Amino acid sequence: MFAYLVRRLFLMLVTLFGISVVIFFLLRIVPGNIVDILFAAAGYVDPADKANLEKELGIDQPLVMQYLHWIGGLLRGDFGYSYVSEKPALQEILPRIPITARLAGLALLFSASIGIPLGVISAVKQGTKLDYALRVVSLSGLSLPSFWLGLLILTASVAMFGQMPIFNPNPQTWLEAFATYAVPAAAVGFRSAALTMRITRSSMLEVLRQDYIRTARAKGASDAAVNYQHALKNAMLPVITVIGIEAAFLIGGLIVTETVFNIPGVARFLVEAIRWRDYPIVQNLVMFIAVVVVFANFTVDMLYAVFDPRIRFTD
Amino acid sequence: MAAIDYDLELRRAGAGATGGWRRVMFLAQRHVLGAAGLIIMTLFVFTAIFANVLARFDPLTVDAAHALARPSALHWMGTDSFGRDVFSRIIHGARISLAVGLGSTALGASIGVIVGLTSGYLSGWVDLVFQRVSDILQALPLLVLALVMTAALGPSLPNVIIAIAIPLIPTVARVIRANTLALREQPFVEAAKSIGMSEVRIALRHVLPNTLAPLIVLATAQLGSTILTEASLSFLGLGIPEPYPSWGRMLSESAAEYVRTAPWLVVFPGIAISLAVFGTNLFGDALRDILDPRQRG
Amino acid sequence: MRSVRALAAMAALSVLTVSTTTLADEGKQGGILRMYHRDSPANASIHEGATYSVNIPFMPVFNNLVIYKQDEPQNRMDDIVPELAESWAWVNDNKTLTFKLRQGVKWHDGKPFTSADVKCTFDMLMGKLQQKFRQNPRKAWYNEVNDISTNGDFEVSFNLKRPQPSLLALLASGYTPVYPCHVSPGDMRTHPIGTGPFKFVEFKANESIKLTRNPDYWKKSRPYLDGIEFTIIPNRSTAILAFVAGKFDMTFPTEVTIPLVKDVKSQAPSAICEIAPTNVSTNIIVNSSAPPFDNVDIRRAMALALDRKAFISIMFEGQGDIGGTMLPPPNGLWGLPKEMLETIPGYGPDVSANREEAKKLMQKAGYGPDKHLAVKVSTRNIPVYRDPAVILIDQLKSIYIDGELDVVETANWFPKVARKDYMIGLNLTGNAVDDPDQSFYENYSCGSERNYTNYCNKEIEKLFDVQSQETDAGKRKKLVWEIDKRLQEDVARPIIFHSRMGTCWQPYVKGVTIMTNSSYNGYRYEDLWLDK
Repeated sequence: MFAYLVRRLFLMLVTLFGISVVIFFLLRIVPGNIVDILFAAAGYVDPADKANLEKELGIDQPLVMQYLHWIGGLLRGDFGYSYVSEKPALQEILPRIPITARLAGLALLFSASIGIPLGVISAVKQGTKLDYALRVVSLSGLSLPSFWLGLLILTASVAMFGQMPIFNPNPQTWLEAFATYAVPAAAVGFRSAALTMRITRSSMLEVLRQDYIRTARAKGASDAAVNYQHALKNAMLPVITVIGIEAAFLIGGLIVTETVFNIPGVARFLVEAIRWRDYPIVQNLVMFIAVVVVFANFTVDMLYAVFDPRIRFTD
Repeated sequence: MAAIDYDLELRRAGAGATGGWRRVMFLAQRHVLGAAGLIIMTLFVFTAIFANVLARFDPLTVDAAHALARPSALHWMGTDSFGRDVFSRIIHGARISLAVGLGSTALGASIGVIVGLTSGYLSGWVDLVFQRVSDILQALPLLVLALVMTAALGPSLPNVIIAIAIPLIPTVARVIRANTLALREQPFVEAAKSIGMSEVRIALRHVLPNTLAPLIVLATAQLGSTILTEASLSFLGLGIPEPYPSWGRMLSESAAEYVRTAPWLVVFPGIAISLAVFGTNLFGDALRDILDPRQRG
Repeated sequence: MRSVRALAAMAALSVLTVSTTTLADEGKQGGILRMYHRDSPANASIHEGATYSVNIPFMPVFNNLVIYKQDEPQNRMDDIVPELAESWAWVNDNKTLTFKLRQGVKWHDGKPFTSADVKCTFDMLMGKLQQKFRQNPRKAWYNEVNDISTNGDFEVSFNLKRPQPSLLALLASGYTPVYPCHVSPGDMRTHPIGTGPFKFVEFKANESIKLTRNPDYWKKSRPYLDGIEFTIIPNRSTAILAFVAGKFDMTFPTEVTIPLVKDVKSQAPSAICEIAPTNVSTNIIVNSSAPPFDNVDIRRAMALALDRKAFISIMFEGQGDIGGTMLPPPNGLWGLPKEMLETIPGYGPDVSANREEAKKLMQKAGYGPDKHLAVKVSTRNIPVYRDPAVILIDQLKSIYIDGELDVVETANWFPKVARKDYMIGLNLTGNAVDDPDQSFYENYSCGSERNYTNYCNKEIEKLFDVQSQETDAGKRKKLVWEIDKRLQEDVARPIIFHSRMGTCWQPYVKGVTIMTNSSYNGYRYEDLWLDK
């Protein structure tokens, strides 16, 4: 058990190191740097001014030096400065994290609270019209481009209520705070609810076909008891796994949704930082996301082991 | 649970013969949704192949005099702000979407298969390295990776395909690897080894064909999401550039300006994307039921 | 947070004191103007930027020596009013421009404003100080200035190499604020200090920009507003929807496209929308140093093939202007008159006749129906650039040119142009002031940094200097017309059209003036008030 944990943690470190290398060099492959963009905004290019600026920002140094500088700083807790705002990177990133976290949390909640019950119903009523209807609805949820769904929601709410749920940093009322997060969260969550529903349904179906369920039925347990006490509990494992994976997958949906609903979270900030070639922001933010994803996977694996006694801590 | 014996079920259902066409009809009846998906997909592929014949106008020709025309007998889906025929652009857009969907899925899947097969079959340090690389790719958000890749390669059709394909590789590789690991222990592989078949030959002749079913299921499921990824990239300004009539860009750009004043510019590309993705998803579901009954649902 | 409250309380107090003294028909004090911003500017330093994304939110923080009258839509030389200067005079055979400065003005950090600040600002712009701007896009504006001299704390003189009446126009632009000497260029990028009607509060990249009323503003009873808040919304449809839903008092100025103006009017009929020229021209940059466009016949053929009306009808539903380098009349002061314009090749009304002529030129260069010329049209990956490029490619088809669009990301655009790694490019040129000196020297003089094509014609360059020194406005205009015509005939940088854009505001926003011959100068916002 202990040896397994050590091994897992070591592998996590290797993965994180790999991610740092990949994102660092990938960003350098992207043509153009912050200085090019600043000069584009200034409408001219002066080679001497450009060289000065590159020197000032340290992006004239050999790549390996730049990499070591970054990692060295990270280890000392120095995250560098944003090239654009010239403020400490941490000061730019930290306040934006809770916004995205709240959005993501609500979206996952939405996804689970809609997806799991519907998945169970669909499985229990397999083959009925209700099952078909739910499957079609969930599939269409997966077929709509998420920015399109968001824009439709905004357009419809302006057309119908003359109001729109746009981000408000200092909500006055409880309702306003709710609208700030709930509507965009629903727009992201709709898609992952569809995914959750499908996984719940198929894992539920698989469990329902297991021998012990048949035994329970044969022993005269009521349908409800079989469905909800025995089967659901066991069908939850893959669902938990999938929700874990979705947390990482969600980022893509969040980028688009934060753009449509103009929410100043980290996801949109990351895209803007890529556009500006703001290396310190992109690198640190991607590392942050990677740490979250890697730890989420680790936690899911651990949960899995706890929930399912058949899995033991070996490799 | 064992795989369903369709022939048996067919006989049980009272079908007199087990001929090809009847078999198809039977499957279609059992999988109504899947059949609907297949029809949509066929329509989609047909449109893409015969775009030149089906389109009534050149999708790129600008016509200032007929800009923003409402849908009419002449322009079935109206025209855009450049006076280009929306119907013809949608028809040609099917090509682009098919190229993106098939291209990136095929590219991602084939690299994923090679990686997964090698990794699962060789084990040892090769496996360890591949595993780490796929860990790394999976910890990077897919859309972010695609964004950086398109920025690095420049926006063009092939580059967008590559950018969307790369994040698919680890997903495919994982599934293939797991299957390969399981297959390696199967008696028929042991038998092949014992009669002195070379490792490569075993991998290609015995292991690969047996991983095809999960691969096809996975690839079909990905097909739809690659089309959506392209649309999201377009929305963020990094999709397939003009003049290619990409559905994603048609939708994301006109959505901004014309959602109320010229709704046909928004409605039709939206329907096209959703229908194509919906069709591939329906079909993918049915395919999963048929090929991978364990996952049946 | 506490400081914001304190400021608000202070502002509220000042409302009480002022409202008793102001007249009834004047503006009401109070309220925060809520606007959206189209993108996140690189930084807050006006002198280091060349986009109005910086001017609009930060012009209210500053004052110039002189400024175009803020409630006059057309920028004219005789509508320039004093700001930090109290008066000015041309002396020494029009070779010295002397300003008497306003006394008792304070920077937002409490330090007094003096002539040293003026000298510092312009010395830095001319690159004469140790401390430098990180970027200095308008250095060339001061090419004719020898030096700046001060006489005591409240007099400053610009000593010129030769007379240049237009210098005053350049100094009246929103691009020419006076910076404090005691604040470093770096600090001006992150936390600008000015003397203007509003103080900088905060700038959160990609999120918001906040300004608050300067209670010590030297102009008594101004500004009316308690503050201005910009929410940064890069997604245009979200921004417009938010305006329609009443979340904003005003759109980002001159950024609403014609179809969107229609949309706003249909959804919010009470909103006031104004469509005005922006003095931004859409033009073609031609790489005449390499084949095929080193051939003047092919350049001419391209100029002849343009159907400018079609561009305008597609891009602006007909509401754009056709002209040469200078913004066309009546909004533009210097633009070519219609009769003269139509004599320039490609500007004639008969497009098909022009194209026949173009085809002959192409045939002369060896191309024809069987042998098309393949051309790459490079442009930035932004709709205002990309859309006209699509139309251009379509129009070039009519003269045996097969164009292929080459979209370039912002980061790579200027390096690509500087490398001459293009055949033709579709480009936008914004003119800060409606003045020939700014436009000609910046875009067409040999060696200018913003002369992207490196067009260099010594003969015409001499004429630039002649018009620049001319003090008689009538004579100068004739010269400018002649130059503009020759630039178009040379196909130096063919101008396709001059754009018009809309600005919308809610009916209770009063005192808005949209300038009609520049989109860079009208954002001091001290006269704006809310009738709520």
